[in-house]
Amino acid sequence: MQQEVVLALLAKEPSHGYQLRARLRQALGPLGEGMNAGQVYVTLTRLEKAGLVASEPSAGRPDRPDRKVYELTPAGQQRVADWLAEVSWPGPAPAEFHLKLVAAAAARLADPLTIVDAQRRELLLRLRDAQRAAMAEPDGSEAGLLLEGLVLRLQADLRWLEECERHWTSRRD
Amino acid sequence: MTEDAALLSCRGLRKDYGKDAGLVRAVDGVDLDVAAGETVAIMGPSGCGKSTLLHLLGGLDRPASGEVRLAGRRLDQMSERALARLRQDSVGFVFQAFHLMDELTAVENVELPALLAGRPARAARRRATELIERVGLAERARFLPAALSGGQRQRVAIARALANEPHVVLADEPTGNLDSAATLEVLRLFESLHAAGQTLVIVTHDSRIAATADRMISMRDGVFIDETRLTGGSRGGLGALAGLEGLS
Amino acid sequence: MSRLRLIGRLVARDLRNRPGQAVLMLLAITAATATLTLGLVLHGVTSQPYQQTRAATRGPDELAYLGSPLASPGPRATGSALRKLVRAQAAALAGAPGVTGTSGPYPLAGALVRANGLTAGAEAEGRDETPARVDQPRLTAGSWVRPGGVVLERTFAAGLGADVGDRITLNGRPYTVTGIAVTAAHPPYPNLCYYGGGGCLAGPPGNDSPRDIGLIWLTRPDALALATPANPVTAYVLDLRLRDPAGAEAFANRYELGDAATEVVPWTGIAAADGLLVQDEQQVLNAGAWLATLLAIASVAVLAGGRMTERTRRVGLLKAAGGSPGLVAATLMAENLVLALAAAATGLVIGWLAAPLLTSPGAALVGTPGAPSLTGPAAGLVLAVALAVALAATLVPAIRAARGSTVGALADAPRPPRRRPRLLAMSRRLPVPLLLGMRLVARRPRRAVLGAANIAITMAGVVAVLTFHATAGQRINGGGSGLSDPVYNRDEQVLLVITVTLLALAGLNAIVTAWTTMLDTRHPAALARALGATPRDVAAGLTAAQLLPALPGALLGIPLGLGLFAAADHGGLLTVPPAWWLAVAVLAVLAAVAGLAAIPARVGARRPAAGILQAETA
Repeated sequence: MQQEVVLALLAKEPSHGYQLRARLRQALGPLGEGMNAGQVYVTLTRLEKAGLVASEPSAGRPDRPDRKVYELTPAGQQRVADWLAEVSWPGPAPAEFHLKLVAAAAARLADPLTIVDAQRRELLLRLRDAQRAAMAEPDGSEAGLLLEGLVLRLQADLRWLEECERHWTSRRD
Repeated sequence: MTEDAALLSCRGLRKDYGKDAGLVRAVDGVDLDVAAGETVAIMGPSGCGKSTLLHLLGGLDRPASGEVRLAGRRLDQMSERALARLRQDSVGFVFQAFHLMDELTAVENVELPALLAGRPARAARRRATELIERVGLAERARFLPAALSGGQRQRVAIARALANEPHVVLADEPTGNLDSAATLEVLRLFESLHAAGQTLVIVTHDSRIAATADRMISMRDGVFIDETRLTGGSRGGLGALAGLEGLS
Repeated sequence: MSRLRLIGRLVARDLRNRPGQAVLMLLAITAATATLTLGLVLHGVTSQPYQQTRAATRGPDELAYLGSPLASPGPRATGSALRKLVRAQAAALAGAPGVTGTSGPYPLAGALVRANGLTAGAEAEGRDETPARVDQPRLTAGSWVRPGGVVLERTFAAGLGADVGDRITLNGRPYTVTGIAVTAAHPPYPNLCYYGGGGCLAGPPGNDSPRDIGLIWLTRPDALALATPANPVTAYVLDLRLRDPAGAEAFANRYELGDAATEVVPWTGIAAADGLLVQDEQQVLNAGAWLATLLAIASVAVLAGGRMTERTRRVGLLKAAGGSPGLVAATLMAENLVLALAAAATGLVIGWLAAPLLTSPGAALVGTPGAPSLTGPAAGLVLAVALAVALAATLVPAIRAARGSTVGALADAPRPPRRRPRLLAMSRRLPVPLLLGMRLVARRPRRAVLGAANIAITMAGVVAVLTFHATAGQRINGGGSGLSDPVYNRDEQVLLVITVTLLALAGLNAIVTAWTTMLDTRHPAALARALGATPRDVAAGLTAAQLLPALPGALLGIPLGLGLFAAADHGGLLTVPPAWWLAVAVLAVLAAVAGLAAIPARVGARRPAAGILQAETA
């Protein structure tokens, strides 16, 4: 994912690496605080190797990657266009959690209900955090929109966890 | 928590509807303690009896058996008149459908409980104006409900619930009729009430509301099945949930 | 055709689903139509009995009073001078052009009657024992005059409570009642002396009030024997038959002028006096029918308004399914028209059956006129009124419902309550029940006006009855003989019927209004309780909501009632009832309103608030 994101950020105009980082931070808000500083440059280097991006040293010290100016190649532009037209969506229900419950019940390793309750508590806490973060954002901020998406997803997941609880309760009775 | 410390508590609460084959045990033996300043969320699927429970806690309905105590007084044995007085100064209600009077402006709606309690008109109006400002609708104080959005109407309803400085505010699906943005308005208000020390009991099926509570209780088929204490921070980072594995 | 069938089916289903309200509306309109029918039937009846009596008694076309002309000065002729004068006058009249037959002349004497402990004045006519050619009173009991026997005119006998075989005294002398009869030659008691000009020519001495004089028949010698030196016989009466009865008035006019004028009364004058008895009834019934109709309209309006708000959803469905506004309005009105038709039929039947109870008109007239006939035009009028009532009350809501937005109707939004800032501000300073009451009134001002109108109309009826009692009591007390006045009795009877009908209608109206208000205010009442109002406050508020418009209505009803009585009485002097009567009436009406409103109010205030508030969210 992140490769296409960096490519897309370059589509507006050629930019320095630090400019890209700043734009990412701005769009992600508090979620972007955990971002690795060097990650962007690693991605840019990979993209350059793949021929999707070209770099030009700017004035100053040419060996420092944050002083290079990066821009899209035609291949890169095509890639961006294709990516924008894609409609795939990250998968809904976590299959991993589901399998966790099934395995625990089958092998009698743990009570599925306990697992569900613990997960529920965790998600609720995250929902609370995400919500607080969302409310702290000014109206109309891009980060706020992202946080709203997070909140809604967590809501959906919590609803599924309720269903899980009901299912595993009746299984037990 | 002992019964004495709790501001609102109930023991063995039961309420039935219908009879014989059509008997429905809406509330089937519920125990609850709510401390002063606490926010408790009760969640459950529709038809699980959570609204009925709330009405019983607020004296809007009489239990078949069990006891309810609020600020040291027993509700289940009170006469209708005493219950009315109780609602005047101990309980504030917020409903899913807002239930504002359509022909009254926002501030007139908010002052209504004070007027019904026999308070002088001027004092009632003053307090109502303060509350309208508190919920952030000062410029719309003279608007009729029809001219307000859903979120604004519910905020007026919350202000009305606070009119007589109640011990506890009971909210029945307060965001049930609201869209996402309006829900956020109400959420903010609840958080600020919580911060100010107001005791809240909220019945909801919206986990966002539940996430603001100190305690979340699950209810199904008239009984409490689970209670979660929402203290401490979450273990995972928000970033992972947002799909930022690559960037973090 | 299929459209009619569709409307028919919708109407039938709606009537099945809500039978209670249909019955109420039926009752309201039936009360109005029944009263109206009564009035119309009686109207047709009154003119007939006099004709029957006239035919049965060979009634005279003219009645001539012979003796000293009234205009002449000095004492009147008596004794042989009188007899000479009378013979001459009788001969002149008998020979007058157009006269085909005469009876009499019969002497008239004044008598003081004592019977059953009652005392009354009477005019005695001295008759032959053989039947006369013109004017032979028809016996309804007993036999005709004989020496020592007296025949009483029927209404007079009823007033005295005398029967055949009773012993009475005339001027102190004992007589036996041999018979009771009716006549077309004189108006019945107590209108014996009612003529335009003139009056009774004989009456007991010292009797100032002509209202107490009744008519009796004796043999000639007995009648003449009644004369005393203080009260001699001064007049004779002669009956005339004309070739052309229609010219009776003209004939009589010829004798009105000049010093030698004798008083000649045409049969039409007597007929008019006869009719006085039922005329009063007529006026009272007319007034009552109007009041009843107005009340019926008010009731139906409240009912129709109440049903309309429930019906808006069905309207929305009809329109969404493609019904035109015309179809929708037609469906809505068809139902009320069906009810109106049923009510008209019921009212016609009730009025027709009840009429005989009131149509033994002025006991003086012969028998019952058979089954009172309901003429075609009369039935048509009643039907038209019933339809008009239904239309008037439901037209506006029907059109509004039909024209309104489909979406709004489907969303089941009833008409939003009105906002009256001044009333709201005023109510804030009142105690809680009045606060609630005033705000409830402010929500639906039109219904409050209807309620006030209802009370005003009812009060008008009550005040009219009280005025009647006050006025008639005044008039009767002038007479002082203690006899029952048949006019008063009859009017009282009719008024009673009217009053009972009005009160029943008004009570119905009040209950319906209170019930509709209670249903309409379920939500605000439940909300008020959820916000802390006690059930007593809420019940009191609901009652206050009925009382607040009732008070001005009751006060307005007083001048309305007085005006109604004045209009019905046609210029008679009315006595305003004493203030304390009116005060009691107002308080009684208000108490009735409060009492009737209290029942639905208490019911409404006790229902669990939670249920109502939940339901409103569904």
